[in-house]
Amino acid sequence: MNLLKLFPVMVLAALAGCEGEQSAFVGLGPVASRIALLMWIMFIAAALITAFICLLLFVSITGSGNWRQKLTSEKTVVLGGIVFPVVTLSALLIYGFSVLRVGEDLVQAENPVRIAVVGEQWWWRVIYRHDDGHTTESANEIRIPVGRPIEIELTTTDVIHSFWLPTYAGKVDMIPGQTNRLHFLADKPGIVRGQCAEYCGGAHALMAFYAMAMTPADYDAWLAKEKADAKPALDKKGERLFFASGCGGCHTVRGTQANGTVGPDLTHVGSRLSLGAGILPRTPVSFARWISRHQKLKPENLMPPFDFFSESELQALSAYLNGLE
Amino acid sequence: MKAWITRHWRSLLLWGLGLLAGGIALALLIAYSGIFNIAASAGHPAWLEWFLQFGKERSIKVNSKPVAPPKLDLAELVPLGAAHFQGTCAICHGAPGQPVNPIFDHMLPPPPDLQKHATYWTREQLFWIVRHGIQFTGMPAWSGADRDDEVWAVVAFLEALPTMSKEDYRQHAGGHSEIQSDSIREFVSEGRPRLDLTACNRCHDTADAAPTSPHIPRIGGQDEAYLKRALQEYRDDSRQSGFMEPVADDLDDEQISRLAAYYAALTPSPFQRAQPPSPEARELGRQLAEQGDRARKIPACLSCHGANGREDYPRLAGQSEHYIEQQLRIWRRGGRNNTPHGAMMSVVARRLTDQQVAAAAAFFASQSPQAGRAAPGAMKGAEQP
Repeated sequence: MNLLKLFPVMVLAALAGCEGEQSAFVGLGPVASRIALLMWIMFIAAALITAFICLLLFVSITGSGNWRQKLTSEKTVVLGGIVFPVVTLSALLIYGFSVLRVGEDLVQAENPVRIAVVGEQWWWRVIYRHDDGHTTESANEIRIPVGRPIEIELTTTDVIHSFWLPTYAGKVDMIPGQTNRLHFLADKPGIVRGQCAEYCGGAHALMAFYAMAMTPADYDAWLAKEKADAKPALDKKGERLFFASGCGGCHTVRGTQANGTVGPDLTHVGSRLSLGAGILPRTPVSFARWISRHQKLKPENLMPPFDFFSESELQALSAYLNGLE
Repeated sequence: MKAWITRHWRSLLLWGLGLLAGGIALALLIAYSGIFNIAASAGHPAWLEWFLQFGKERSIKVNSKPVAPPKLDLAELVPLGAAHFQGTCAICHGAPGQPVNPIFDHMLPPPPDLQKHATYWTREQLFWIVRHGIQFTGMPAWSGADRDDEVWAVVAFLEALPTMSKEDYRQHAGGHSEIQSDSIREFVSEGRPRLDLTACNRCHDTADAAPTSPHIPRIGGQDEAYLKRALQEYRDDSRQSGFMEPVADDLDDEQISRLAAYYAALTPSPFQRAQPPSPEARELGRQLAEQGDRARKIPACLSCHGANGREDYPRLAGQSEHYIEQQLRIWRRGGRNNTPHGAMMSVVARRLTDQQVAAAAAFFASQSPQAGRAAPGAMKGAEQP
């Protein structure tokens, strides 16, 4: 039964694999492509070394006494057992540092887009830092302009999470009491998926997000809209219900009385790609599905169950939330 | 001796088994023949009476050993226990000034007159009997699961009962039920079938009196939809209370609607507070109520329990500290989560610390009962589909 319910998610994930939406093999942008290259170098080198070791093993068993003598000589052990690993691993380490530098160099060369992402059980708080010092909060989705370096500041409010955006940026842990930074650049528009990559409790596997790279013009237009307060609600009944039912105790809808900070900011939830941290595609009906069945869709998530809404109340809430564009 | 047993153990075993089989056969034969008279009117033969009493006493004494009584505030609990006793127990056990109903007096064993017999048991034993009931006697177990707090109120009453005069008892058990306030008269004179408020008034507030104990809610001025929901939940056994379930069980849908409307229209009468809560507790409670606690993922209490909350959410302003704390404790123990609303609150309540529970209770208790209530009818339009 549970598997059946998860089927759409699994199909989505499988499709994502095909399209490279969340794939470490598809490196887009300078940082991710270096990581992909490093991965291929390591993979091919490891394969060659393994083949070579197998050959030596074969020789040591079946070879003539002369060969076996050579293999056990001190010179072979020093060269093959000490010098070779030290040289290879040092070279890899140096290259690894250079990959890390790529992102930092980008950020130093040009004023980056600064975004703070806070890991929470089991969703992402996303805070856009503007040049004027103001911030705009959103959740479970990051939008970035192509061609500009991005600096993501990674923290957590509870346990260790790991921010993994393979297609653009790679992976960095979010560690309590510490701020880590991730630098990258996306070179063409697109939508990719990221995922928490460090086990963080019950709903860890269902803690995902989408990243959308947009042309600079689109990005500026989007950011201007995102900064603004929520538009006056079209669906007054849904809005009243949202406040009266206490949703504002956890969720913020900027420009209204809803100012909770426990859960995701919903000011512009109607224009996001997904609900429940990458779990449901955002459609008008998925709000009702999420509200009435979220403990089944994403077991153990920390939102209290609201099993008392009538069908018409769910529709009103959906209409209101979907209208928060 | 040992040698004799070693030699004869086979025949000993056979004898033992034979006697056991014979005994079982005899018992079955006696039962089948019907010669044993189980009529309640026949009474028990003296030897059986002695055996049953002996077994009962030992069982109660042994099983009540782990019971650890809390500190009981008699003045606050006795009226509740007395009112419940009057409603559900007195019919069998009698009460000061009320002889045992002759029908129940002819049960076997006859229910004891507790004014005489309550002193026989210790506090722990009384609790155990009221909480668990006694097999084969007609004494039922407590009907509210995980509501030991209510059982202790009955125990407090039972301890006070032996020294109670008829007048004391009438006063405690009757609560406000003899006060015929104007609004009830109006209600009656409107020509609708008379609604008997006796059961409610034994404990709850009336037009001109506060509830008889701070351990129960003030329901006058509460939202109608909430009162209706609470009574329905008690009636269908999804919300547990040994006090409320027997009362709600008697009500039909129409009576529930009328009771809810009656109490919603009643002007709330505040509790008389013995001592105000400490300013620190009230301040912490105010913060929790207005802002919540982000670190513990607790939303502000007032986001649901404020002036604009849904009508089926309860108003907490002016409720007693004891009551709010008690209910939060029930949630934290995992109770009160069989209803959709209860399941929602259960998640939040379990995130609270002990200190926050006390602070929230202190804050809401210090509010005026009117503070948390929107103007009557203000939200009604929103809730009608």
